[in-house]
Amino acid sequence: MSGKQFFIDRYAKLGWKYRKPRLKQAIRINSTNTKTVPILDRLYHRGLKLEKIAFLESGYWIRKPKFSIGATSEYLLGLYSIQEAAAQIPVSLFTSLKNQKVLDSCAAPGGKTTQLADLMDNTGVIVALDVDRRRLTALTNHLERCHVRNTVVYDLDAREVNRLNLNFNHVLCDMPCSGNFATDEKWFQRRTIEDVKRNARLQREILTSTVQVLEYDGEIVYSTCSLEPEENELNIDWAIRELHVRVESIEAYGDDGLINVFGQNLDPSIARCRRIWPGQTQGFFVCKLRKGGSA
Amino acid sequence: MIEEIYDFTKLFGANLSLDEDPVLKKRDRYFFIDNALEKLPGNFVYAGVFLGKTVKSKFSPGFELLRMIAGTEANRVVVDGRTEWLFVCGRDIFKQGIIRILGSGRKGDHVLVMNDHLECLGYGIIVVDLDKVQRGLAVQNILDVGDFLRREEEE
Repeated sequence: MSGKQFFIDRYAKLGWKYRKPRLKQAIRINSTNTKTVPILDRLYHRGLKLEKIAFLESGYWIRKPKFSIGATSEYLLGLYSIQEAAAQIPVSLFTSLKNQKVLDSCAAPGGKTTQLADLMDNTGVIVALDVDRRRLTALTNHLERCHVRNTVVYDLDAREVNRLNLNFNHVLCDMPCSGNFATDEKWFQRRTIEDVKRNARLQREILTSTVQVLEYDGEIVYSTCSLEPEENELNIDWAIRELHVRVESIEAYGDDGLINVFGQNLDPSIARCRRIWPGQTQGFFVCKLRKGGSA
Repeated sequence: MIEEIYDFTKLFGANLSLDEDPVLKKRDRYFFIDNALEKLPGNFVYAGVFLGKTVKSKFSPGFELLRMIAGTEANRVVVDGRTEWLFVCGRDIFKQGIIRILGSGRKGDHVLVMNDHLECLGYGIIVVDLDKVQRGLAVQNILDVGDFLRREEEE
């Protein structure tokens, strides 16, 4: 079960008609390292046309750049990062990050880790995990470029996070996932439903381990760049029942999470999740979970 | 342990003062770790501020260390916009691209390279007494922030 038509039919059953996305490149100002107005002025004088992204605090669309925005001095000096607009949402959903202990469970290549450090103003602690040596190198390069000072990186699978003997107030689970066609031209040729199911199982394992190291009443932000409900709403429905987390209300860009998937009714609180179908951003799914208690 | 860092700092005529306790050497890499981080398990691959590493018995600084040195009375040259761009592309600096000289401009001394916002772009070695020439090669590039891109390409 694979191929373009197979997945497009699935999306139609979920209420979305396939259309080719028109992705816009985006950056995020690293506000710990620079003030917004001067950096916007500097980029303007370099010839970059920027447009504020309405649903983000520090995000800007780049309009038709005539040169690589990853090669300016301002980028190399860590004054801004290149980060897709939807990917900037998850970290922005945490409340009061300063001086907190935060787990970034699948951290590489580090865009969201540097965003966490920025919102924490380099206070508190971020424990960042990943497993692939090449991805860890990319992560540590990002940390150095963005002047991050509050992060410790471990070469550790998130499913084994309990080996650190640490607990956290906040956990970011930006899951390894099947991705989506908006950022990968050959996605439809590459992916099968078996891949999706395999990733969904891995995500449940990671979520189980990270909930165990989360303090009572602590927050988890769960995100994927997959459009497949197995990796999104169905996993959250499972987590509500099995891991005793509840879905928090969030104010974020996107549609409500699906509460009926291919005829299966899910917990109504899943409507509080956000599902972003591809358009000017990539496809994305995000929600905020809280450990324990009732909704 | 910290001597290697101080010796490097002195190449710029700077006096940097670091608490020794939070400086940790992990294999060949130095990290500056503040109070909140030091209680965490030690089997990390990166922690706090990366100060630099020893490569073939020679110290190679991290960019945060260069920024710390730049905050002292170190040798610095401030360069114009075009020279900034060429420098981060790995090129050497010509005298006509230097706007200001702070500290020593003597041949053979190390010097931090700053843009006109006084942000540290890297460092180099002065190849000619800077007060004696108007044009020509002045500072040889040793390390610049364009290294981040070159690392990405290597990956």
